[in-house]
Amino acid sequence: MQTLQNEWRAVWNARSLVWVLTLREVAARHAGTAVGILWPYLQPLLTVAAYYLVFDVVFSMRLGNGAPTHAVGTFLVVGALPWMAFCDAVSRGMNSLIEAGGMLQKNPLPPVLFTTRAVLASSVIYGPLIVLVALIYTPLHGFRLPVLSLLPLLAAQVLLSVLLGYLLAILAAALRDTVQIVGFLLSVGIYLTPILFPLSMFPEGWRWVLWLNPMTAFVIGYQDVLLQGIWPPVAAWIAIAAWMGAVALALNVIVARSRDQLVDWL
Amino acid sequence: MSSDAAPTNSPARGAGATPPVGSVPHREAETVLKVAGVSKEYKLYPSPRSRLRALLTGRATHRSHWALRDVSFELQRGQCIGVIGDNGAGKSSLLKLLAGTLQPSMGTIQRVGRVTAILELGAGFHPDFSGRDNLYFGGSLIGITHEEMARLEPEIIAFCELGEALDRPVKTYSSGMAVRLAFALVTAVQPDVLIIDEALAVGDQHFQKKCIERIMAFRNSGCTILFCSHSPYHIRHLCDAAMWLKGGRMEQFGPTEPVLAAYDLYTRERQEREQQAIEAASQPVAALPSVAETPYAHPADEAALAVPADPPAPVVAVERGDACLLSVEVDNLGEPVGEQPAVLHSKDLVVTIVARGRGAERPHIGFMIEQSKGVGITSLATHEEGMFPQQLPDGTWQSVLTFPDLPLHSGDYVISAFLFDETGLVVYDEWFQFRHFRFIFPKPLPGLVRLPHHWA
Repeated sequence: MQTLQNEWRAVWNARSLVWVLTLREVAARHAGTAVGILWPYLQPLLTVAAYYLVFDVVFSMRLGNGAPTHAVGTFLVVGALPWMAFCDAVSRGMNSLIEAGGMLQKNPLPPVLFTTRAVLASSVIYGPLIVLVALIYTPLHGFRLPVLSLLPLLAAQVLLSVLLGYLLAILAAALRDTVQIVGFLLSVGIYLTPILFPLSMFPEGWRWVLWLNPMTAFVIGYQDVLLQGIWPPVAAWIAIAAWMGAVALALNVIVARSRDQLVDWL
Repeated sequence: MSSDAAPTNSPARGAGATPPVGSVPHREAETVLKVAGVSKEYKLYPSPRSRLRALLTGRATHRSHWALRDVSFELQRGQCIGVIGDNGAGKSSLLKLLAGTLQPSMGTIQRVGRVTAILELGAGFHPDFSGRDNLYFGGSLIGITHEEMARLEPEIIAFCELGEALDRPVKTYSSGMAVRLAFALVTAVQPDVLIIDEALAVGDQHFQKKCIERIMAFRNSGCTILFCSHSPYHIRHLCDAAMWLKGGRMEQFGPTEPVLAAYDLYTRERQEREQQAIEAASQPVAALPSVAETPYAHPADEAALAVPADPPAPVVAVERGDACLLSVEVDNLGEPVGEQPAVLHSKDLVVTIVARGRGAERPHIGFMIEQSKGVGITSLATHEEGMFPQQLPDGTWQSVLTFPDLPLHSGDYVISAFLFDETGLVVYDEWFQFRHFRFIFPKPLPGLVRLPHHWA
């Protein structure tokens, strides 16, 4: 893991630059608009609000027995918002190097800074939104102690997004098709999570498929914390650690193999 | 902050050590840049798919292209080095490695202090943000903090002369404005090592002059400069030493003149071979424009070299604008007949060069004569000889250059004229190989030049 350590050191040493880059990325996204900084927040917020309005207010749909909550919209929001955050962070991370190609070819900066800033720029949008949802859900979870596990869950999600985003960014630099393939996987990936339906509604024989999606463990965690105020199951933590370790190992190998030629591919 | 291989706290003070091969002795022997056995391999994959496969499996499926092989040298503080070589000799790769945008495949590069590279200017500006915003952001990319930038800002604004435009989005800038801002930004702080890739030709004449003045000021205050150019003229004037890269290897490194002379010989021989190859392949139709290195060629004019040797349309309008050559007249020159060049009906060659200067500045004028197909014979310039053009009543400048009893043998010759600024560093204009003429020496002896001589 020597290579990954060096990458981490590069990020740490340039942390003030990473922060400048992050703020600029956020600012660049709404440059020239009237509402300005609110836009990046409004879009996911309005999507989530639409879920609530459509499923809980207009249709009043109800989940069956065994579900952690009965209001479909309420259930949906808890999983969908972190999923949107994950998709946003991973796809931005994946495109970060290709987008920063010009800058990397002309400035002696470590490429990892640009993936980190892409994921961080996504996190400063979605992080506060998830916290906001947690606050709105107070009547459901009543701020019991397990709510604190929201923090490690969020931190782990950011870290996994950086690792996965960087891995995919290098693969995308090598072969641009990666972007298309991962884009497709991210758009269908929501069906491989217990976001739309609770885990209990999936057929027993097919449940293992869900664990192929790194977000399944996170979604289960968020649902337990925000809907019921209970600790996430140990299985979820193990799955998160396993995913993190696997991606880190792969990344370590890929970074070492591509280090001296990565910028040429951009 | 930019040391790759070794901590910056050991700047290898090599005062007592034996100077390594390839180093040029200098009064202050503080090494600011040490390149040891650096090679750069470009891995060429047959397709991006095999690139991904190699990444995933770790198996080598590439062909290797070594842009640089085993290059070692050291630069001392205050040295100015010119890098020359053919296209593809590895110049750009070397500069990028030194700047740190590329990683060496082998070997180490040690740098001391701030390294600034002027490789391609204007990269990283966001079109939607104002010039000022981009200035601060660009500064953070090259390690200038917000507070430091606030201190430097007035000087940068004064230098780039953008004025009000600084608060407009960069997308409204002309390319020249963006380049001016970028140059002002990267040179806002004096570096310890400055790397320049043929960037002397930025913006208009006025700004070019300012750029060169700033680079000269850096040089005079002890900044080490590594300068890559196709212009032997500039290397000769700016650099104490030259490095010739050939096929990725360092062919020669040492005092400027011998290296340039060796490179010049090499290019002539190569051109001759190419010429022969062309002639063997097809009978030449007309006099091919020679691609010889003009001693004054500067980077932006590489394309101009390929332009046929017809005279450029003389500029008539004198009213405004940039400095340029207005007319170059050769006395007693006959009319060209068909494909044949004009014959000089005189023993003397008298050339009258008229140019428009820039403002009150007194320009300098250069002249070159070469064989139509073959070698250069001589090049001259007023600033090299302590002479000055005369100002005419209408404000233009004129030099009359006379070669009494032109000491050439019979043959076809071609002349070029150049206009410089008062320092001789900025080439304002050039009419390169713009007129061919035939000179007939009445005695039927073979040869090229009649040298001063006496019999005893």
